[in-house]
Amino acid sequence: MRHLAVATIGAVFLIAASGAALAAGGDVFEAKGCGECHYTQGPAREKTIDDQLAKKGPELWYAGSKFQKKWLTDWLADPKPIRPMKFNDLMVENPADHPKLSGGDVAAVAGFLMGLTSDAVKAGKVKPKKNPKGRQIFIKKMPCSGCHQYAGRKGKIAGGRSGPSLVDAGLRLNPDWILAYLQQPKVFKPVKMMPVFVGLLSDKDMLNVARYVANFKPKKSKKKRK
Amino acid sequence: MKNLANNSAKILITAAALALFAFQTAPVSAAETEKVFKFYCAQCHGLTGKGDGPNVTKDFPVSPRNFTNAAEMNKLTDADLKNVIMDGGPSVSKSPMMPPWGKTLTTGQVDGLIKHLRALCQCKGKQG
Repeated sequence: MRHLAVATIGAVFLIAASGAALAAGGDVFEAKGCGECHYTQGPAREKTIDDQLAKKGPELWYAGSKFQKKWLTDWLADPKPIRPMKFNDLMVENPADHPKLSGGDVAAVAGFLMGLTSDAVKAGKVKPKKNPKGRQIFIKKMPCSGCHQYAGRKGKIAGGRSGPSLVDAGLRLNPDWILAYLQQPKVFKPVKMMPVFVGLLSDKDMLNVARYVANFKPKKSKKKRK
Repeated sequence: MKNLANNSAKILITAAALALFAFQTAPVSAAETEKVFKFYCAQCHGLTGKGDGPNVTKDFPVSPRNFTNAAEMNKLTDADLKNVIMDGGPSVSKSPMMPPWGKTLTTGQVDGLIKHLRALCQCKGKQG
């Protein structure tokens, strides 16, 4: 009985501490002005092209389902452009001017964002792997590579520039989110420049594409032989 | 009572289907169509339709159509344009780099886009 009481108190303490940390991360998020460009309350709000174009940055209400924590933490401390072009702009290059966070703010905001999840993303559905069928769809059957950069043969960057780059997307994106996004795009982005592929690609094809994209990772460099 | 519930359900489903049909086919204004063009099509075709959107780098596998080229645009009927917009390049034996927009755009938006393309080429297209 005593053990049960201690365990219960411990669990309550952990939940309270975790809730406090999330709240603190949310406070930092607002204090740093992140909320001026990114909204964090779901569901998706955009109904028209004007709604989408009015946004200054991507919605983050499902960030914890979309991103990988290590990538997000590293990126908040040292943000590098994900999109070749400025957000919502086809004429201006990405100015690479996203604010940086430092010190404890990085972990606080990363923890806050990773706590923002969507029930539409089911865990454990997608295992990243080399996938010739996914590659075939991505590069040849469908126009994915027309808008998204990826590392082609010998690591050469290929692909279009209007969408987010998918180079090393396997480090950035949760594989299960890629599949959920393909299958239920309107849950996440009701108005977007990317075509809807529901009804054009089968669930199996989408799974193959998700596996293929989730496997976009830097090639391990071979050690030079002496 | 059961019949009443069944009839109500049928009426609701029919009303929803009619509403969806009305939304899908509702005409879209020229101003709204220009927004649609700049949002979706300009990625490859460019904001002014010259085939020079930001995706068109030196490695891009095809040359997106220049909609201001009347000679080329006159080879296509409006039905050809509709097919390629709805079902993508492969539907007219062209590149898969032209996406199928049929699940993204409404019929009204596609019809608006065809008028917009005809305004860009200042041509009527092949009459079919």
